Amino acid sequence: MILRRDFVVGAVLIALAVAMIWGAQGFPRIRAMPYGPDLFPKIIAGGLILSALGIILEGLRNMRSGQDQDEIAQGKVTPLAAMAFLGIVALVAGFALLLPVLGFHVAAALVLLGAVRIFGGNWVLAGVMAITAPVVLHYIFYSLMRVVLPWGVLAPYAW
Amino acid sequence: MDLLAIFTIVLDPKILGTILLCTLYGAFVGAMPGLTATMAVALLVPFTWFMDPVQAAAAIVATTTTAIFAGDISGALLKIPGTPASAAYVEDSFRLSQTGKPRTTLFTSLFASVCGGVIGVAILAYATPQLAQLSRSFSSDEAFWLATLGLSCAVFVGGPSVPRNFASLFIGLAVATIGIDVAVGHPRYTFGLMELYDGINFIPAMIGIFALSELLRNAALGRQAHLGKLVVEPLFSAIRDAWREFRKRWKNVIRSASGGTVIGALPGAGADVAAWIAYAVSRRFSKTPEAYGRGHVEGVVDGGAANNAAVAGAWTPALVFGIPGDSVTAIAIGVLMMKGLTPGPDIFTNDTVLVYTIFGSFFMANVLMLLTGGLVVALATQILRVPRAVLMPLILVLSMIGGYAITGSVIAIWIILALGLLASGMIWAGMPLAPAILGIVLGRIVEDNFMVSMMKSRGDLTEFFARDTAAVLGTLTLLVWAALLLRAGWSFFGNRTSSK
Repeated sequence: MILRRDFVVGAVLIALAVAMIWGAQGFPRIRAMPYGPDLFPKIIAGGLILSALGIILEGLRNMRSGQDQDEIAQGKVTPLAAMAFLGIVALVAGFALLLPVLGFHVAAALVLLGAVRIFGGNWVLAGVMAITAPVVLHYIFYSLMRVVLPWGVLAPYAW
Repeated sequence: MDLLAIFTIVLDPKILGTILLCTLYGAFVGAMPGLTATMAVALLVPFTWFMDPVQAAAAIVATTTTAIFAGDISGALLKIPGTPASAAYVEDSFRLSQTGKPRTTLFTSLFASVCGGVIGVAILAYATPQLAQLSRSFSSDEAFWLATLGLSCAVFVGGPSVPRNFASLFIGLAVATIGIDVAVGHPRYTFGLMELYDGINFIPAMIGIFALSELLRNAALGRQAHLGKLVVEPLFSAIRDAWREFRKRWKNVIRSASGGTVIGALPGAGADVAAWIAYAVSRRFSKTPEAYGRGHVEGVVDGGAANNAAVAGAWTPALVFGIPGDSVTAIAIGVLMMKGLTPGPDIFTNDTVLVYTIFGSFFMANVLMLLTGGLVVALATQILRVPRAVLMPLILVLSMIGGYAITGSVIAIWIILALGLLASGMIWAGMPLAPAILGIVLGRIVEDNFMVSMMKSRGDLTEFFARDTAAVLGTLTLLVWAALLLRAGWSFFGNRTSSK
């Protein structure tokens, strides 16, 4: 069975709204006020649920009238595209995890190696980019703009 | 309006240099397919962090102005609009280029864009101080209704599906609830992370939504567009022919620039919507409507003038009410707020230098765009050959350092990732991003004013309509909601009847 996009979107939005309401239960109240920090999140959650129902209704209408074929085609993802997408996600997460440990130069070089390959460059280009770009970017941000980028494993050689 | 003061500010070497550099940067980024004007501004923001507010505003204005024009370049040469604002007339500009006139087409578009931009800023400079006078007496009731009206407009113009537009808005508002609340100072949805107590930092959020989501989309597309064989005419004859073409159509430019400014001023309707409407109006009034979409320069002139005028128009609600007209002004408001300036009517009396800089930068950016835009058109074929395997990885690393530079913590990179994935999911779900951006920017303002009014009135909702201006704004908002409900109902029941 093909899970239609509208139903998936609607279900995700409802789940988000329920999580918001559930999270808002624990917010404290001041006795004198009939409303507190939970009021606005609950209004937003209500809006999300109504929007989700609208999207699901649209999906039902499109399914009945056979107008959803284009949407199904749009929603299809090739394995290669999915790999490239997930590859970039992994690189960003990896950078966040490795930056404090390995330092900027090494973490950025690893990201560049991976990203050049994902965007279709060969290993030579990836190597050149991984060596040169972190040095140039470090000079701009660290030396010129005074952003404190971590040195990590290169701390003994810091300049 | 003190013209001498405006020119003294923008002719300051630091500001002029910033404008010149940013017009070059905007022209380059705008010309590259897949890199939008908003992305150019999002990537610029970490650098503006190290500038004073006046220089930062000049940088943002100059970058956007040229990026919107430069979007025409890859549209004309590759049939891939560099920014969504060039999509309306891409078929015409591409076909014209294929007939051996790429430079003539692009220079015609450049002249129309410059003229449109100048008309846009003239209207902006005239209208905003007048509107600011009006809005100076607003209380929390009016401020609440105004922000709600802005958000409702964004939903109205967002996209064809009303529920999706609303969902996008509520997602943005939900993101804005993260952090310490206004009523009792309780941290909401922070998962115990101290870094989230002040809310989601705006700059990593924008980098995630506009830069990372584009990178993810580009990675998934997995191909580089090729120029193929292109006949390019000599530069000077192209400029001469373009000037002739432009002079013939000056009435179109005035009409589309005026319309584009007004459309740009509507919250949520940016340069792309302005270009689509100007193109449609142009075809409606043209003597040769059948030629549109087959390589007709008239649509290019109208669309090009309208989208650049809309860039200036979008600053109208931003400056007067603190409500962004489009995604770029949303980022600009975020930048100004982080620098301790709150856009709104008082800015016209308290920060005249900033207001004058914005007006002056728009004017100078448009004038300098003749030079930098012309340079990029002349070098377009070389620029479009820059491999994406070089460009995209650099943008990826720049995005992440940019976010890190602002917060000094890896939480910024996690925010970039989370909101980049959220934006990608929304694009996949067919939701427009503009309402969500406005929700993130205005969420706090709406909630703060709503809670203050609720406390004042002890929960009596009729008090929201007690003051005259508040009643007018409230009624207007309710009318927009009614129109939205009608539109949703019409598209649901109307389509169902027609499909039988």
